[in-house]
Formats: sequence, structure tokens, C-alpha cells
Amino acid sequence: MRFELFIASRYLRAKRRQAVVGVITAISVIGVAAGVASLIIALAITNGMRRDLQDRLVGSTAHVMLMRVAGDGIRDWQPLLSRLRTTPHVTAAAPGLWEQVLISRGARSSGALIKGIVPADERTVSDLLKGMVAGSANALEPLVDSDPNAPAIPPIVIGKDMADSLGVQVGETVQVISPQGEMTPFGLVPRYQRYTLVGIFKSGFYQYDSAYAFTRLADAQRLFSEPDLISVISFKVDNLYAADKIGRAIETSAGPGFQTTNWMEQNIELFRALRLEQYVSFIVLTLIVFVAALNILIALTMMVMEKTRDIAVLMSFGVRPEQVRRIFLFQGLLISVIGTVLGLIVGYGMSWLGGHYRFIHLDASVYSIEYLPFAPTLIDGLIVTAVSLGVSLIATLYPSGSAASVLPAEALRYE
Amino acid sequence: MPETEDISRLEPYRLEPLIVEPRDIVLRAAKLSKTYTTGRGQLDLFRDLDLEVHAGEMVAIVGESGVGKSSLLHLLAALDRPTSGEVWCGESKLSEFTPSQAAEFRNRDVGYVWQFHYLLPEFTAAENVAMPLLARGDSRRTAIHQAIKWLSEVGLADRAEHRSGELSGGEQQRVSLARALVTEPKLLLADEPTGDLDGKTADIVFDLIQNLHKAHGLASVLVTHNLEFAARCDRMLRLRDGRLAPSI
Repeated sequence: MRFELFIASRYLRAKRRQAVVGVITAISVIGVAAGVASLIIALAITNGMRRDLQDRLVGSTAHVMLMRVAGDGIRDWQPLLSRLRTTPHVTAAAPGLWEQVLISRGARSSGALIKGIVPADERTVSDLLKGMVAGSANALEPLVDSDPNAPAIPPIVIGKDMADSLGVQVGETVQVISPQGEMTPFGLVPRYQRYTLVGIFKSGFYQYDSAYAFTRLADAQRLFSEPDLISVISFKVDNLYAADKIGRAIETSAGPGFQTTNWMEQNIELFRALRLEQYVSFIVLTLIVFVAALNILIALTMMVMEKTRDIAVLMSFGVRPEQVRRIFLFQGLLISVIGTVLGLIVGYGMSWLGGHYRFIHLDASVYSIEYLPFAPTLIDGLIVTAVSLGVSLIATLYPSGSAASVLPAEALRYE
Repeated sequence: MPETEDISRLEPYRLEPLIVEPRDIVLRAAKLSKTYTTGRGQLDLFRDLDLEVHAGEMVAIVGESGVGKSSLLHLLAALDRPTSGEVWCGESKLSEFTPSQAAEFRNRDVGYVWQFHYLLPEFTAAENVAMPLLARGDSRRTAIHQAIKWLSEVGLADRAEHRSGELSGGEQQRVSLARALVTEPKLLLADEPTGDLDGKTADIVFDLIQNLHKAHGLASVLVTHNLEFAARCDRMLRLRDGRLAPSI
């Protein structure tokens, strides 16, 4: 091995009889470096975008949600909530009464998921109420029973997109219509309730900003005529990626008739799409490495042609065909290793600079983030290195094989 | 660079001569034939050619250009295969060698000198000489040490760090001779080793070959057009009409 590496490295450094071989070799190194750097940067950006999205998504939603299998709501929930808060890995829990409603203002209306909450608890499991763009969520705090100054119309907080869609501003009133109405001699009559808009939140996720509304738990219970009933207990856990496992522990602790769902299950399509985007980027950018590998193939093939006489001489004093094969194999790999190392340095360097100095700005109203995030990972570097070296190795097979098949007597006969 | 050097620089030769029985056959070719297929049909270079080379013997092969002298040397060095017939080196039958075994045979038992020096231009003289040792797996230190010893043998120790482009024609051929002998083979095959040199330099190189041949007890086969050199060998054979015959 040492002998082959010795010859290969000297051949790589030596001046060429044919200058074009040296030029193609340099282009090969640059090509591999460009491919590797592009892959590292592209993967760092997709990772950054996914991580940012995940952070905001996970911040906006609870990690695990417990509900009844029958959908009949959770009664006598306080002792259950207290007990489940002590489940291992659970860091916070919040009760909620969630129902589908219609919210209207004048001629405009919008379907919504209204959440009756206790703000102090809700803030421990979700960041939605922390992202207020107008008004405040303070009015959602539970009322003291005998508060004579309590307004007659209960407060509500809705998302930015819903507020725009309804054309409503803080201080104005909206009508909430519950399909779970009352049965009367004239049939099922929906229940109506007017609410005062006290705040508008923005999470950056259309699915939340266009459909979520928050009110006090007691007001929601009153709207649905279900005093002391909740539909969901939301949990934060200490390990995001163990949400499924912790969810099963919560189910077991809650007893029969309960089921859980988690943030991954709820957003599986989104993350699948992001992963697909990452795969596609990887495949497209790997084409750059393929082009560079093609250059390696051309450079080595020309080098073998240039060195045919030397190969024959090497064989004449006992260099074995497999040693000749390894000389050119190492030469291709050296080109690839140099290009890959350069590419890794440039790729990780650019990613670090991009992440640290945030020099690529984005329109926050479109992307919900003001800069392009970079999150380079070690595993990406290892995968890119393996792909780069693997593709280059394949490119060296033909030229190294043809070098090994040189017949010394034939090669030197006409010299 | 001067094309000729002072022959006194080549002295002395320090290695002890190998002790061999004078009649030991080192190389034997029996009923050797080589036929090439060309665009105009079959070309028989030689047919049923026999040759024996004994230890310590220096055999010259002369003949017209194109009669197959170089091709014969290729067969003797296992660089090519005969169309029929056998070549034996000691107990080894060269036609049964795999490519790797043939390479090992050339590395251990044969020193080959070409008409042109064929030094690798990317490497120094010492590295060129060390190459056969490095190829067999010797450490760089050992190989270079041995190479410098052999460069001293050919009077070029002071040229060890020079690349082939920095050497004269005679020096290049002497380096190539050192490369051929660095593995201490029992057989030296030289294909017109002085053919590319001027008269005086050719004399120096031939003297060197002859001295090393004697000093190391080699069995040597030299292909040459120079009848004067051929006459200084133990035997002179002429290759004509595909046969080897003693030449007077």
C-alpha cells in the first residue's frame, strides 16, 4: 500500500507532459469540492429550516394530548390532572375544552376550534398566547366568583389570519355559534354567544392563525352547557422525540377509555414533505459530484495513456498488475479526498458564517423568520463524504483497470 | 551534462562475487516459437528456438533489426508468452506463471536493462533505483539505503538526489543498470543497453555491465548490434531465420 500511495501522490504532484491532464485534475478537485460544499450548505439550510419550523411548531402545540376514546369529555378532571402531572418525563400539563364553532362578525364568518383554557396552565404547554400582535391574553384569566366589575360579555383571543378574514379588531365583538345547541320542539337550535375580542396572536402557522380561538375555560363550559367538563389535557414533556413513548405511559396512568396523540402524529405529513425535500436536494446536488467524478475518470484515463510506458517499466521490474491498479485507484481517491476535504471546509465554514452572521435575509411575513437558518450536522458531513468518495471510487475503476491490463512487452515494443 | 565520464570513477567494486558452479543452467528455452498475427497474416519471429544460459556466463545475441531479439528477451523475462515452447529459470516454468507470479519472478530473479533508460522522471535517481525494492514491500529507508549502495557501484552516489532529466545519457543508463541489479537477481537481461549512447559512453557502460556481471556471478544475456561488445562476451549467438546459431 505504501508503495502505491508513494507513486500515486508523486504522480499527482508532478508536472505533466500533457498540461491538459493537470488542468482536468485541478478541475476534478474543484468539482468535488464544489459538489461537497453545495451539499453541506444545502443540507444545513434544509436542516435549519426544518429545525426552525419544528421549534416553532412544537412551541405552538402541546407535545402530547390526552382525550377520551369515546369523545365524551373528561369529567372530574382535577384529580386526574394532578396525578398525571407526576408522570415521569411530564414537565407541564394544562386542561382544555376544545370544540368546533363558527365565529362571525356581520356578514363574515369563519370556522374555528375554540379552546377553553386556563391561561397560566396553557402558557406552560403552548407558546401561542405568548405571540400576541394586538391586545393581551390577560383578560382570559379566570374570574373571581364575586367580581362585580366582570364584564358581561366574555373575552376571546383569535389568530391573526382569522381576525383579518373577519375584519375584526381588538375591542370589537364577535358572535360564536356552537353547533352543539339545545333540542327544542322546533328541533336543534344552535347556541349563540357574543364575545369581546381582547387579543390577536400570530404563530406564523396558517393552520393555527386562521382557525384557533381561545377563551376562558369557564366560558367555554358555559357555551357548551358542560360545567366542569374538559375534552383534552395537554402535556409538555422533557424529550420531544420520546413523545410517543411518554404518551403511552400517560395513557396507562390515566386508565382505560383514554387515548393520546402527539405532535409528531399531528404533523407527520409536514415533516414527511420536509424530509422528501431534503432527499431531493441531496440527489440533485449529488449530480455535481457525479460531474466531478466524470472529470476524475477523464483525468485518470488520460494519465494512464500518458503513463503507459512508465506502467510497462514498473511491470518489467516486478510491480504486480494489482499494484498498478491500486496506484491509479489511489490517485483518483487522492483527488477525491483533497476535493472532499476542501468542500467540507468551505461547506461548514459558509454554514457557520451564515448561521452566525445571518447575512441572508428573508421576508418574515412570508417565512416567519427574518434570516436563512443554517444547521450543519456531523452526520450530513459523514454521508456527503461517503457519497463523494464512493462515487469517485467508481470513477477510478475503469482507468485503474485499464492501467493494470497494460502488457509491458506490447507497450514498449514501439518505443 | 557531459555524455562521457572518467572511467576511473567507476572503481572499485566492493561486493563479493557469488560462488556458483560454472555449469549450472540458470535459464533454458526449449523449442521456443513466437508468432505474431499481423494485418498481412502470420509472422513467425522464431521457431523451435533453443537456448541455455549458465551461471556466470555472458551471452550476446546479435542479428539484424526486426529478427526478434527484443521479443526473445521479453519471453526470457516473462514479459510475454511464447506461442509454443517453454522457458525455464531454475526449476520454474515461466509459462505456468500467473501475472502476479511473473511479476514476482521479474522482481526477484531478473534484472532488465532497456535500450533507453526508462527512468521515471518524477523520481530521483535513488528513488528510481529503490523502486523494485519498494514494490516488493521493503521499507523506504532500507530501499533507499540499498539504492545508494548500488548507485555507488555504478559510480553515481553523488547523483542520488538528481532526477533523470538532470543526468547525462550515460548516467541515466547506469542508474537504470543499478535499478536492474538492486534486487540482486541471478539473471541480467539487457536489450541493446548501449544502443542509445555515443561510442565512449557506450564503452563505459559496457565495461560496467561486464564488471558487475563478473562481480556478482550473474547469468547475462545481452542483445546488441555492437559486434565488438558481443565478441567480448563468453558466447555470441546470431538470431537469423528464427534460429539461434553460434556466431564466429
